[in-house]
Formats: sequence, structure tokens, C-alpha cells
Amino acid sequence: MTNRFFRAPLFGALLALVMVGTIAPAHAAGEDGEFDAIGHTMDGNYLDFSPFGKVELPRIFLVRKADGSIGLDVYGSTKQALLTGDYVMASSYADEAHAEDGYGDAEESAYGEAGYGDAPADEATATQEAISKGKHLYGGLTRAKGDVIVDFSITRHLLFAWLAILILCLLFIPMAGKYKQGIGRTEAPRGKKMNMLETLVLYIRDEVARPNLGEKTDKFLPYLLTIFFFILTCNLLGLIPFGATATANITTTAVLAIFTFIVTQFAGTKDYWMHVFNPPGIPWFVKPIMIPIEFLGLFIKPFALAIRLFANMTAGHLVILNLIGLIFAIRAILGDGAGWGTAVPSYFLTVFIYGLEVLVAFIQAYVFTILSALFIGMAAAEHEHHGHEPHAHEQTVGTEAVI
Amino acid sequence: MTLFLAAGLLSPNVGLIFWMALAFLTLLFLLSKYAWGPITSALAEREQTIEDSLTSAQKALAEAKQLSADNEKARREGEAQAQQIMREAREAAEALRAEQVEKTRAQIRTMQDQAQAEIEREKQQALAELRTEVADLAIQAAEKILHENLDAPRQKKLVEAFISDLPKN
Repeated sequence: MTNRFFRAPLFGALLALVMVGTIAPAHAAGEDGEFDAIGHTMDGNYLDFSPFGKVELPRIFLVRKADGSIGLDVYGSTKQALLTGDYVMASSYADEAHAEDGYGDAEESAYGEAGYGDAPADEATATQEAISKGKHLYGGLTRAKGDVIVDFSITRHLLFAWLAILILCLLFIPMAGKYKQGIGRTEAPRGKKMNMLETLVLYIRDEVARPNLGEKTDKFLPYLLTIFFFILTCNLLGLIPFGATATANITTTAVLAIFTFIVTQFAGTKDYWMHVFNPPGIPWFVKPIMIPIEFLGLFIKPFALAIRLFANMTAGHLVILNLIGLIFAIRAILGDGAGWGTAVPSYFLTVFIYGLEVLVAFIQAYVFTILSALFIGMAAAEHEHHGHEPHAHEQTVGTEAVI
Repeated sequence: MTLFLAAGLLSPNVGLIFWMALAFLTLLFLLSKYAWGPITSALAEREQTIEDSLTSAQKALAEAKQLSADNEKARREGEAQAQQIMREAREAAEALRAEQVEKTRAQIRTMQDQAQAEIEREKQQALAELRTEVADLAIQAAEKILHENLDAPRQKKLVEAFISDLPKN
């Protein structure tokens, strides 16, 4: 039953990416590029409170200065960084002229030094113009002299991840205090919040961790609970107005998947490594094929984990934004009447997708957690047999493929 | 431009990797230390308590049932015993009464027998005395009448013959 839900958003994501190339209704239809599905879903250095405005976030850069020394540049906002003159706009897809020059970092910095270095006045006016139009937020920044090594800027998705962390701490630490007092320990749990969260905690423990981890549940349960509630909260924060989905960012999901990868490798028993590098119960001539596959599998599993969560969370948002964008695309092509006509089905479809997204927020948090538990459990399992019957391993790979 | 859009969405951000890893580790640390420990231990403890309570309740119930069964059994036994005792007492009383009656009857019979024997003896004695007396009287009378004619032994023989002709009682 769940397959449909897992596949639909993924399919939607692919479709959306294709659509961006062909009709790109969301992007093309907006006046002055204001309505921008990708930009909205993407990470950025500002909080988007449109139509009330945008709040720029601090920029932090680890840089190699022109004289070769390494330093840290901190600015209150992108605007400030640009106004000091230390930084120039690298590229912006909102600004066609710049985008055409390329978007690779090396090229940009070269361009910045060579192109703008000769004409500082031109550059300053261009920057001023971009700021006044509010387009300076859409491109990258490069240092006028020297290179940016790492951009440690606080982004929207990071801010929402922090918000999720704050919410989780505010929810669970006082709740733990209640348990310490004896409520829920010797008495019945009290209150809606406690009962609701406890249900989720128990669900993760009994339905996700225990079946996969067995007696090692207690060791890995804190990790699984943390990852479940973090992903769930991030997913749900993306559904509130002015929110951003930290999990609709490949970097976030990659970090989470890397944690699962690390935990899995540390949980690995001797049997687990033997299954990878010397799979038992397989004819010797198959081993040269199996070993690379098993080895690659170690990395493919977390990779799939990261892509799955990212694609699912991105897809829903893109579908919603494209459905809304469709209204304006149709209006632009066929006129006002057609626009109004499209609004009705678009609205209902949007509500439907939104409802589906709430469901997907829970399902994807659950899927990430249960697959993490599965991988860790597979690595941590102590096998008693030595490879005469097909392993649980092969079966679980099948499960994963279905999901 | 399309490629650029997709790339923007898919390009990883090194700085963000650092921040996210830091953020997640912080969350993992905070929740593991301050939240999951107390919560999961409390839940486990509560489950244990509930299980123990259920087990002990079941045990108590079984014990109560056993106790009630024991009580019932004891009551039945007591009742049976009481009935037994009453029956025995009644039987004993009956036996005692019968014995008493028998004894009394035997005593009465003995006394009757004794009395009868006494009477018989007295009667025999009286008859013997009477016979002797009668014989003597008769002899005396006959002596007086026949005085000379008959000697003493002959007279006695006649009298005795006479007496033996007399009815016995």
C-alpha cells in the first residue's frame, strides 16, 4: 500500500525537473521572476517573508586573502558584504547577463578579478542596481581579491534545522523532566503532548528499532529517535507558511545519511565485514563480481537514503508551486479567463498535494529511520549460520528496492 | 539556464555540511543526554511495573481462588464431620438407652426369678413342715384311736402311705 506514496513524490520530482526544462511555468510566468519555485525550494541566504519582504542572513566566509593568508570574513548580510566592496556578485540565474558567463567557481573568480577589477565604477553601479532590485540574493558571492575557501554562511535551511532542534529540545527535555518526577514512570502519562510524543517514541522503539536491532535496541535507539524526530520536524516546518524544508536540501540529507553510514560501520560485526569482503556460501568464480557489488552497496545504501528523502521533500514543494504557477502560465498564454478557470482545479489539486505532503513528511521520516535501523541491524547482527540458505541480507535489499 | 536551476538544487554546500553535522551532533548529544535516557528508562520501568502488577494480580487471584476453594473444602469437611459426630452421638445414645433398658429388664427378670425361687423354696419348706406336722397329728390321732392295736412302726407305715396318696401340692 505504501509503495504508491513512496513512488509518487519521487516520480513527481523527476517530472518536475523535466518540466522545469520544458515549460518551467513557475519560473517563466512570474513577473520579474518574482514567483520562483526552484528559488523557493532551494537554500538561500535570506528568510523569505514575501510579500512582506526578505530578511538577509549573516555571511561567513573562510577565505584566502590576496596576500595568501587565511582569514574569516563575517558580515551581517549579503548586502553588507557587497557594499564593503570586498565581495562581488559571481553569478545569478536571475541575472541573465551574468549567468551566461558561466557558473563554475574558478571561472567566476577569474572573471571577478579580470573583468571587474579593471572597472570598479561599473562594478559598483551594477552591484547597487542588483541590490535595489533585490537580485543580489540569487547569485553567489566571490571575493574581489583572493578566494573563498569555504562558505560558512548561515542559510535558510540551517536556520530551520536549528529551529527544529530548538523545538525538539523544548518538547523532549521538559518531557524527560516529567518522567524523572514519576509522571509516566510510576503514574499514567499526563496531557495530550506527552501522550502523543510517547506514542511516537514507543512506535519507533517497538516497530522500528526492536524488529531490526533485537537486543541491541537500547544502544541505537537514541540515534534512531533523534533522526526520526529531527527529520519529521524539519519536514513539517517546511509545510508552515514562510517555512523552509531543511530536508529538501541534498546537503542536509547527505549529512544525515553519512551519520547512518558511520553508525552502521561502527556497529559492524566480523560477520558483516566477511559478508562484504568474502561472502560465504557463494562459488569462488562469482566472488570477483560479488565483492565489488557488496562493497559499492555499503555506499549506495546511504546514498539512496539521502536521495530518497531529498527527492521526496523537494518534489512535493515543486509540485505545489508548479500547480500554482500553472495558473499564471495559462493566463499568460490563453488570457485572463483561462487563468481564472485554471485556478479552481489548481487550488483543489494544491490542497490535495499539501495533504499528501503532510503524510509524506511522516512517511519519509519513518522510512529514513526504519532503513537506518535495518542497515544498522544488518551490520550488527550476529549470524549463527554460515551461508547455506539465502540471507536476510538479500531479502532486505529487495525491501529497500521496493520502497 | 535550466541546467543551472537543477544544479542549484542539487549542488552540495560544504559550509552547510559542517553546520548541519554540528547541529545534528548537538541535537543527538542534547537529546541522548537529557531526554531519551530518562524517557526510555521510564517507559521500560513502567512496562515492567505493569507486567509485574499483572503477574502479581494473577497470582493473587489464583491464591484467592485457592483460598476460597480451601475454605469451601474445609467448610464441607466440617459440616460432614459435625454430621458424623451427631450421628455417632445419636447412635451412642440409642445404644446406651437400649443397653440400659436391657439391663433393667434383665435385673427385673433376675429379681423375679429370685423372688419365684424364694417363694418356691418357702413353699416347699412350708409343705415339708406341714407334712411332718400332719403326719405327727395323724399319728397322734391314730394313736389315740387305735392305741393298743397297732404298734408304732406299723402305724407309721400306714400314715406315710396315706400321705404319699395326698396330692403333691
